[in-house]
Formats: sequence, C-alpha cells, structure tokens
Amino acid sequence: MNLDGGVPRPFVRPMRGWWRRDPFFVRYMLRELTAVAVLAYAVVLAVGVVRLSQGEVAWNGWLAALRAPWSIVLHVLILAAMAVHAWSWFQIMPKTLPMIFVGGRRLAGATITRAGWLATALTSIALFALARWWQS
Amino acid sequence: MPEPKNIEICVLRYHPEHDPEPAWRSYQVPCTDDMSVLQGLQHIKDEIDGTLGFRWSCRMAICGSCGMMVNGKPRLSCQTFLRDLQPGPVRIEALAHLPIERDLIVDVGEFVNKLEAIKPYLIPREPRTLAEGEYLQTPAQLERFEQYTSCINCMLCYAACPEYGLNRDFIGPGVIALLHRYNADSRDGGQAQRQPILNAEEGVWSCMAVGYCSEVCPKQVDPANAVNQNKAVSARDYFLRFLAPKGAAP
Amino acid sequence: MDVAEVDVAIVGAGGAGLRAAIAIAESDPSLSVALISKVYPMRSHTVAAEGGAAAVTQAHDTLEAHFHDTVAGGDWLCEQDVVEYFVGQAHQEMVQMEHWGCPWSRKPDGHANVRAFGGMKIERTWFAADKTGFHMLHTLFQTSIRYPSIRRFDEHFCVDLIVEAGRVQGLLAIEIASGGFRLIRARSVIIATGGAGRVFRENTNGGIVTGDGMALAYRHGVPLRDMEFVQYHPTCMPGTGLLFTEACRGEGGFLLNKDGYRYLQDYGLGPAEPTPRNKAMELGPRDRLSQAYWHEKRKGRTLSGPHGEVVHLDLRHLGEKRLRERLPQIYELAVQYLGVDPAAAPIPVLPAVHYTMGGISADGLTAAPLAGLYSAGECSSVGIHGANRLGSNSLTELLVFGRVAGMEAAAYARTVPHGAPTKIGALAEEARARALAILARPSGGERIATLRREMAQSMEDGCGIYRTAAAMQATCDKLAELQQRYRRVQIDDRSRVWNTEWLLAIELGFLLDVAQAIAHSALSRRESRGSHQRLDGFAERDDAHFLKHSLAFHDGDGPPRIAYGPVKITRSQPGTRAYGAAGEQADAERRAREDVHA
Repeated sequence: MNLDGGVPRPFVRPMRGWWRRDPFFVRYMLRELTAVAVLAYAVVLAVGVVRLSQGEVAWNGWLAALRAPWSIVLHVLILAAMAVHAWSWFQIMPKTLPMIFVGGRRLAGATITRAGWLATALTSIALFALARWWQS
Repeated sequence: MPEPKNIEICVLRYHPEHDPEPAWRSYQVPCTDDMSVLQGLQHIKDEIDGTLGFRWSCRMAICGSCGMMVNGKPRLSCQTFLRDLQPGPVRIEALAHLPIERDLIVDVGEFVNKLEAIKPYLIPREPRTLAEGEYLQTPAQLERFEQYTSCINCMLCYAACPEYGLNRDFIGPGVIALLHRYNADSRDGGQAQRQPILNAEEGVWSCMAVGYCSEVCPKQVDPANAVNQNKAVSARDYFLRFLAPKGAAP
Repeated sequence: MDVAEVDVAIVGAGGAGLRAAIAIAESDPSLSVALISKVYPMRSHTVAAEGGAAAVTQAHDTLEAHFHDTVAGGDWLCEQDVVEYFVGQAHQEMVQMEHWGCPWSRKPDGHANVRAFGGMKIERTWFAADKTGFHMLHTLFQTSIRYPSIRRFDEHFCVDLIVEAGRVQGLLAIEIASGGFRLIRARSVIIATGGAGRVFRENTNGGIVTGDGMALAYRHGVPLRDMEFVQYHPTCMPGTGLLFTEACRGEGGFLLNKDGYRYLQDYGLGPAEPTPRNKAMELGPRDRLSQAYWHEKRKGRTLSGPHGEVVHLDLRHLGEKRLRERLPQIYELAVQYLGVDPAAAPIPVLPAVHYTMGGISADGLTAAPLAGLYSAGECSSVGIHGANRLGSNSLTELLVFGRVAGMEAAAYARTVPHGAPTKIGALAEEARARALAILARPSGGERIATLRREMAQSMEDGCGIYRTAAAMQATCDKLAELQQRYRRVQIDDRSRVWNTEWLLAIELGFLLDVAQAIAHSALSRRESRGSHQRLDGFAERDDAHFLKHSLAFHDGDGPPRIAYGPVKITRSQPGTRAYGAAGEQADAERRAREDVHA
C-alpha cells in the first residue's frame, strides 16, 4: 500500500486501576469479593466435618470455638457478605435467563429478582422451622 | 432564544502526528438549556478551535457515531444535555478501552471486523422464493429477538466493559447481542454455524458478568442478557458433545 | 497514491448503495465492487428514516392507486413510466428485505403489517416500529457482509470523479484515518450519496447530508434536475429540526394551532374527523401541511417558542401504551430532547427541510447523461417524486432503484475495458493537488462555519416554503458572493490524520454548488407546483410553460445555466390536486372518466 498521508498511531490507554474508575465497577469488585466470604464459610464447615471424624472431644472443641467472640464476629461478617452476595446475584439473575413469557407477556427483570428473594425467604423460614423442630 | 451561560468543557486531546500522549484542554462554551454536549463540541470546532476531531451525524441517537465518555460515563453526546451537567466543568474523552485515533475519535475497525465475523445475516431455516411471499412471524416471535435488533453499534457497551479493556480479543457485548439477535429469530437456522464463535475463548466465557454494558446501552438492548444466556447455551453445547460425539449440536 | 481496481465503484453506502452492491454481488459474483463511504455504512442517513416504505400489499389496494397517489402527489412532474415500474417492483423488494431478516412489524397472523401515510389512499406503508430506515440500513449492511466480492472502503471521502475519454472511469478518495489518497479505478460508478438538506438552516438531516455526489456529477457536466423542489416536513423539533415521523399522524395524531383548533380543515384538507382518513387533514401531503403552517403563522394563530413559532402535534388521545408500542423512538425523542411526555402534553413542532426531490439527472434505468455513471436514492432524480415526494416512497426508492442501478452499472461494466492507467493517473494527480491546495491556504481568511451559516440562512430566507423573485434573487446574489469568499476559506488544521476540518471545507464547496443549483432553478420556475410555491404573481400551476423538468448545468465560475426537459406523461393527464372531501370527489370523477374510456 502506498498512501501518502500521515501515519496513524492509535493510543491505547492503560487499564491500571480500572475498577476504581466508576462506582459500578467498585460495586462489582465488592460482589466478587463476597465470594471469599462464601469460601470462608465453606472452610469453617469443612473443618467441622473433619473434627467430627476425629471423635467427640474434637467435635466439642470445634463447637466451643464457634461460640468464641472472634468466631461470632466472623460469622456476622460472613452473614453480611452473604447478604450482599445474594442481593447482587438476584440483581443480575434476569440477565442470565432467557426471556420468560407468562400468558403471552414477558416477565419483567424486577419480577425475576423478586422471585429470587421470595425463594430465599421461603427456604430460610423452612430452614429455621426445621432447626426449631430438631431442637425441641 | 434563552440567555446563554458559559460552561467549561475539558476535552482530552490527542494528535498522533505531534502528541506523545493525550492531554486535557479546556474551553469556555456559551450554553443554553436545550444544548447537547455535541452542540457544545460543535461550537468549539466552529468558533474556537477547528482542529478538534469527533464523529457525529444524525443528532437524534440513531446513527451511533457520537459515543464518548462524558464525566467518566459512556454516553451519546447528542442525547446528553449540558443543562444536566451544570455548573461544570464537563470532562469529555474518547470512549474508554478503545484505541484513540485522534481526540475523541476511536478505532471502530476492530468492532466492525468482529461484527463481520459472526455471520450477522439471516441463514434461512427453510429457504423461500420471493414468489412465496414473506415468512410468517407472529408478534410474539418477533418479540423474542426484537430488542437485540435495536443495537445502533455505538460501542458504549465496549467502553463499559472492563474485560474488553483488558483483552481486546473478546468479541464483546454488542456483537454477541447481534449474534443472538439472529439465533433468536424464528426464520433463522444458523445457530450451529455461529456456536463455535460463542464457545471460543474470545466468546461468551470471556465475560465476567460486570453487567455495566446493559446499564449504559442507550437503546435498551441489554447485551449482558444476550451474553449470559448464551453461557448456558454454550455449556449445554459443550456437554452435549460428549453425548453425541459426532458433534450433532442441537 | 494507492490504486485499487474494481469493476463497479459505488459512492455512498446507505440504503441505495448497499442495495446496489448486493444486486451486483448476487447476480455476478465475478464482478468486483468497491463500496466507498465517508462514514461506516450503518451511520448513513438512511438510518434516520422513521415511518416506513410503501408497497401495494392489501387485497383491496392496486398498483393503479399507488401510481395515481404518487403522480398527483408530485403535481404531475413525475416520469410516469418510471413511477409505473416503481410501484410494480415495490412489493417484491419489501419481501426481499423480509427474507434478509428485516424485522418488519407484524399482524397477529404473522404477515407484515402496513400503516397509513400522508397522501396515500390506502394503507400500504411497511414499517418496523418507528425505526424503519434504521432497520432497513442495518439489515442491508449486515446482509452485504455475506458477499466477498463487495470490498468496502469505510471512512473514505470521495473528492472527485475521474472522467476520461467521455466516460467515468473511477474516483479519487481520501482515506480519512491517514489523510492519504486512494484512486479507485472502475468501469462504472454509481452515486448513492443521499440528499443535500444541510444547505438549509433548519433541517432534519444528519451532518453528513451535504450533497457530495450531486456536486461531483454536476461539476462534470451532468445536470441536476428539479432542484427547486425541496420538501419541508411539517412536524419537526424547534431549534434542531429533528423529525417527528409522519407515522405520528398515520397513527392518528392531530395538528392544532394555539386555540387547540385543527386548522388544516381551513386549507382544503377537511372535513375534520376524529380518526385519520387517508389523504385528508393530517394525512394530507407534506407540502400542503407545511404551507398551512405558514398561513397560520401569518394569521398569528401559532404559539411562540424559544426557537420561533410552533403548532402542536397532539398524540395524547392515542394513550401511552400505543405510543410506546408504535412510536417508541418518538416517545423517547420528545421526553429527552423537549422534556415533553407525548401521552400527557402536545409536542411543539414546526416545518423543517427534509428532502431534496431533485438530483442527478437519471433516465428510468438510473443512467446519467455521462457514460458509465449511475445514481440511486435521494441524490438521484430518476423521476418518481416530481414536485413533491409522498412519505414512504423514498425508502422504497432506495431498494427498487438501488437494485436497478446495480444491475445497469454491472451490465455496462461488462462492455467496457479499464482505461489507460497513465491518463487516469494524471487526472487523479490533478484532483489530488486541488484537494491538497485547501490545506495550503494562507491563514487570515474566512471561517468555514461563518460561510456555512450565511449560506443556510440565505437559503431559508429565499427558498423556503413560500418564495418570491426578490428573495430568491437575493439568495442567488448571496451565494455568488459566498462562492467568492469560499476561495479564501481557511482552516486551522493542516495535518493529515483525521483532519475533519479539511473535509468540512471540501463539503462546503459541494454545498455551495448544490445551493446555487437549487436557488437558480427556483428563480427560473415562474409558477407554483408542489413544494415550489410563489407569492409574486405566479401562485398558480402553469402547465403550458412549466410542465417541464428543470435542468441546472454547472457553468464554470458563474451561476448555473438553467434549461428544461420534457416530462413523460403516459396515463395520467395533469389534473387538480385535491385532498380531503374534494379529493375523494375528484377521485370518483377520474374513475368514472376512465371507466367510460375503458
């Protein structure tokens, strides 16, 4: 090619620190970070299973550790993170599903999000009821 | 005419023939209540500095030319109004993540090459002659893909997609939405031909579900939806391969 | 300078250019096609067309009816044989678009739906919500990608045609990204560059609609035909001129003056009925509606707004649901740009320049009187619009005559060899030097924007909805002065990469040439017909002297030379253009006459 013009020299801007550029990205990173809390709680439960296999003393030690103040704080933090995680999940859920039509009308995204919350509420209540029944 | 007030517009300028890198420059622009950011830039070009480069044409948010970052957000400058940005200064820069060719002009070629690669045309499920008339398609069938036909190729979603900024091989939200538009069309039978594009590394799996693309889309195309529902399709396609080893995808 | 060699070069990649390219690629894949556009194809102004595309579709409609609506709508300045071909091909082209995936709006049974449009007797306008042009353009662009023989030159600005040995042999373009020159040698060339609405101040057109192709052909001796006929669209946004589609009225919108009165009934368009009746009231033709606005303004019955006098487009009675479904873009425009919710308040509107009926002189097969040159779309005057275009005929025109231009240019290309490279190269060098000279102008001259503003204002003053000899003469004089000042136009930017100011300067040259063709053609037509309405003693149509096409010839540095050519009349003798109740009576009389003859 023999073009006689100037020389294009496209400038590519660096991406360093991109996630701080927009509140939307900060919220996204927060959502991704809450996955660490999910992992942390999975580890807590896994340790419990291991302790159970090691006999009654080990199991009781694990139960005692759960009641320690630092553990309570950790669980509260994990619970909060899980709430954020669930919230952001239900927010994005409509974007992950194909269009749903009910009676010829398209289901709105907000309805899908609300349905997610409803399912969470129902399963949580069922779980608590089950726990109460187990205890009594 | 309404009485004009001045507003400061800062533009990230870059000229490849003499600037090593982009730099901000500031302009004072008289501004009335009904002026768009685009009209502000036109004032600069017409009256202050003719060297300012930007694309525009229709002025009514349909040609897709005038996307740019306005105060850090991807926007069409023709439908962003200075009155909403008072008292300023307004910071304007080329669409994020895309290479700057000059001033507010970004490279569109990469996007168009991707668009061309996804077979963005009807591959008929059942061929039909003109004499047989149009394909029948009910309003409900049309609704299944209509929103994805609304993409004006403005590339705001690319400026909203950090994954694209980090990896410019990613096909990206707008083009995947267009691909889905044809797959979801009741007249089309080309899904199997397009599936390898979605399955590839630069396809849907590059998306990290930030979701900002749908947020900034000026035409409510919801590209994040097109991308993420095709993750399910791609996963199904992957597992079906083990069930039907001859590659007989659905 | 880079050189590319193809069989057919197409300048402009909007609806017409894309349709032509596809026609060539489909009919003969061995022919190479260059598709050159100063923007990416999907930015072309076809994108902004809203309402729809006309084609006889319903069982109770006839080609005859579409023909008569078009010819009468054009005030009998149409080429009737061409109109006949046009209406006959229209439906097939709509179906073809459907087969290519165009998302036409549908009826519950799955067939394409049609809507009412101004000046059309029966509903025959195919539509895709209120973004018909957008959907057609994207469908055509995306379909064109299938064909490897189409080589696109996106963001290439055409600066001149190469005419050698009496025929067009290619063109010279600037690759905008580098500012370098590219000679594209071709056996035939199609111009499909769209209209020239930007010569006027208040217009509905995009910034790219600068009459480039018209001026290119004109400078090479091809006459511009019927340029005095410029359409004002009656419902546009004050200040910007942005369009509120005629489909607003097709769906049942009202036009009201400051008293809330449907004033069109005072201008021979009545009776006023609550639902739209075709070819009456708000569904009358655009020229009549814009003229009625002018009279209302004179009578002081319009409303004063920040950007001049307005009337109201009232859509409230249609309800939010229907507006959002049938006119979604209009809804969005009104809310975002004007802060008006059309379901709750009337929209202020006024007429703005929308369309150039005239263009590059073309025969019924799109050929210009210069061997190897063809034209299609708004830049072309193939003869179907006459003195006033009916809404929804132009999108159909892109398809019907885009295809014809493709086939004809391909056929011609097969019959001629490429010309001698040395001669063509020398001509290209001259054109290149002319374009570069603009960059080398000394500073201290005129600003582009100043000249452009004065031109646009002068065109509006002299060549508006109503015209007088004195005002038109003043515009002609002003344009001559601007042509002189244009030689001293200066630009701030002397670089090459993405130098948009350089392109603006070249575009201004195109605009001024086209403006002169419009103003001088208008001054010479001493009658009133269609969109050309005079107040100075020529208020009537004068078939004895002016049932003719005007032809504006470029004449060196001076004003254009105006000549006249015959109009092809086949079946429809000039009659009275009547709408509303009077129109229905006239139609009945015509049918009775024809029955007697038959």
